[in-house]
Amino acid sequence: MKIPLLLLQAGIAVLAAPLVSGFVRRVKNALRMRQGAALVQPYRNIAKYMRKEEVVSETASWIFRWTPSVVLGSTLAALMFVPVFSFSLSAAGMGDVLSLFFLFSLGRFFLALAGLDAGSAFGGMGSSREMFIASFVEPAAVLAVAVVAAHSSSSAAEPLVRSMGMSFSGMIAAASLFMVVLAETSRIPVDNQETHLELTMIHEAMLLEYSGPSLAMLETAAHAKQLIWFSLLGAILWPWPIGSSSGLSAVACAAFFVLKIILCAIVVGLTEIGLAKMRLFRVTDFLGLAFLFSVLALVVSGLGY
Amino acid sequence: MKTFMGVIEELRAQGVMIVETFELHPDEVVIRLKLEDFHRACLFAHKTFSSAVMAMFAADERVAKNAFEIYCVFLARDFQKWCIFTADIPQDRPLFPSLARDIHSASFFEREIQEMFGLEPQGHPDKRRLHLHDEVWPKGLFPLRKDFVLPAHVAPDGVYGFNRVAGEGIFEVPVGPVHAGIIGPGHFRFSAAGEPIVNLEIRLGFTHRGVEKVFEHKTFDDAVGLAECVAGDTAFGHSWAFCQAVEKASALKVPARALYERAICLELERLYNHFADIGGIAVDVGFSFAAQFASVLKEKILRLNQRLTGSRYLKGVNRIGGVRRAFSRQDIQALLCEILSVCDDHGELKQMLLASVSFMDRVDDTGVLRQKTARDLGIVGLAARASGIAVDLRKTFPDVYAGSDFRMITQERGDVLSRLRVRMEEVDESARLIIYFADRLADIEGALAANFSLAAPACALGAVEAWRGPVLYWVKVADGQIDRCKIVDPSFHNWPGLSFAVLGNIIPDFPVCNKSFDLSYAGNDL
Repeated sequence: MKIPLLLLQAGIAVLAAPLVSGFVRRVKNALRMRQGAALVQPYRNIAKYMRKEEVVSETASWIFRWTPSVVLGSTLAALMFVPVFSFSLSAAGMGDVLSLFFLFSLGRFFLALAGLDAGSAFGGMGSSREMFIASFVEPAAVLAVAVVAAHSSSSAAEPLVRSMGMSFSGMIAAASLFMVVLAETSRIPVDNQETHLELTMIHEAMLLEYSGPSLAMLETAAHAKQLIWFSLLGAILWPWPIGSSSGLSAVACAAFFVLKIILCAIVVGLTEIGLAKMRLFRVTDFLGLAFLFSVLALVVSGLGY
Repeated sequence: MKTFMGVIEELRAQGVMIVETFELHPDEVVIRLKLEDFHRACLFAHKTFSSAVMAMFAADERVAKNAFEIYCVFLARDFQKWCIFTADIPQDRPLFPSLARDIHSASFFEREIQEMFGLEPQGHPDKRRLHLHDEVWPKGLFPLRKDFVLPAHVAPDGVYGFNRVAGEGIFEVPVGPVHAGIIGPGHFRFSAAGEPIVNLEIRLGFTHRGVEKVFEHKTFDDAVGLAECVAGDTAFGHSWAFCQAVEKASALKVPARALYERAICLELERLYNHFADIGGIAVDVGFSFAAQFASVLKEKILRLNQRLTGSRYLKGVNRIGGVRRAFSRQDIQALLCEILSVCDDHGELKQMLLASVSFMDRVDDTGVLRQKTARDLGIVGLAARASGIAVDLRKTFPDVYAGSDFRMITQERGDVLSRLRVRMEEVDESARLIIYFADRLADIEGALAANFSLAAPACALGAVEAWRGPVLYWVKVADGQIDRCKIVDPSFHNWPGLSFAVLGNIIPDFPVCNKSFDLSYAGNDL
């Protein structure tokens, strides 16, 4: 019974994910008094890439060809572990919230290799920067989730969120997770999605050699990954009403979910507008702070707050 | 107090034989030397006037005297004079002693002379081609010689040798010539150890159009239009410098009214470019809100340009002898209102940028061009002033700026922030100047342009401090036509500065360093 529902949930989430990116852009453009692209522009982009021919570098190996599938596949699998609307595979005993990070790492690993594989100078720079940043992102993210796990004495995603409720340590963990989300969704102050300057890119630099349907897959994966992070952040900041036991109908759950994502998107948009991008090596300070918050949250939760 | 001629006497006392001295214009002295003394005299002027080589070029005079002429221009700031040395290079021995080992700012000029005229700078450490790329241009074909004919087919066979940086962990990042943004083409080759840049080699010349050749035999009216197209963002600076050169050569007195209009236009050009760059610097560090604000201000100035002159980029304003169009009283009123409002907005923009911690962290201490380096390289204009070199032609040759109480803006540290601050303060100063000139203009009636007729063959140097730095035009007229036109855009001097400013910075900081210089490809490549 659960499996088809889970697939349905994941399917809806993937289809809706580009809308979130479109929305963040709308928020930013409204603040800049710009007309900007339509809300559905990310869909148009994906549709455009699907129609386009694919060009593959002569030096590229199978890694380059297979990476889009691995990245999209692992992101979709990750989507299963997050209680987006209501259900989580973790409840079905197939893994817990830590699997999420492993799945992300798998995608990242392949993407970094693919960046090098194409043989362009920019890909290599992107890969090295991505791994550099990942080494700071992952500990902070895992620890932030560990705080929540400590509350429920379980690392399974569904009871984890359900049992939590608002807490002081949860708030601190959310602060840490927010910084992680900015880094993981390639946003200012860590990365800049809007830039055309190859030399400053991080995530985009790894994708520079991709075109056509492969690029469409990678972009879809990036949208989905962003949705996962937003929903995780939302779940920790406002833990209700997730899970089937909350007594609310699925429709109400979904409505709350959408509300949370919108709030996240607005906050992210505001942050991006208000800040300049950091110098690359300053990112360590930024993510170091996130790690510190995570540790602090863990201590506070150990004290019972 | 020494006089300029007193200094030249010192040169003579050192054993340099001065063949002739011409003082055709009050601010310009041409000194004819023997070729063997050329090097010594240039070195003397370089040290005495503490001036970079402001321009160095050749002219093909083989028909008249079986020789090429070589010219080297220095700025004698203390004497408010351009000091121009010239010597003949016999056509059967096309060589001249290179200055490049002693004066770095001569290096690129000499490479240019070599490829354009086939005159070899003896002892030059780097004889690679500059603009005529080996991959597309054959050996032994020198386009600025008078007898040059473009062959139907060429068979180039060369390759350009980049400087190699070797060592453990050093890798090369080639960028360009085609870039992701809408900018000119240039090839940048970084040698990096991890992120920090160890060496940057810039290869330009992709937009070489043979502008100087096109100038030859143009009518004067057409040539003004051509000058406007040399570097699109300095259309007015270039056309004024060209007109000035021709006006000097024909001893034309430009009416005050035209001079005030020109000064207003020059400052408007400075304003819109400075706003574009302030915004550009913000874009390159990802601070999009401020960038958007700056682009609004730029657009306001462009619309003002359109209203005053009929052209957003101030084209078609200049003519030889003056200007084409009178600013009406209403236009001047509108100008004053708009400038005041833009000034207010600029105050807000300044506050927004300088008070943003995340922005300041990116620009402060980034891309430092030390004063010593800037002096050695012969950096000019805005970039030089940001490194503490107080040179501005508006100060040296006040002319129409006399009486405006012009304040030169300098900064000391030479980083991106300094170049940004120079721009911000120049915006305020330009706004003040515009208001001053507009007040003057309101009281003046009379002709817009002097009647132009060219009498005798002559040559003269026109120089204008455009927004990026000094734009120089050396024009030689003969038979009622332009015989030779040498153009020096400040970009030509300043590109080497960028390669030094980025050293030790990380690769992702290159774009913002580059934008803080904002050099022209077209003006450099010609």
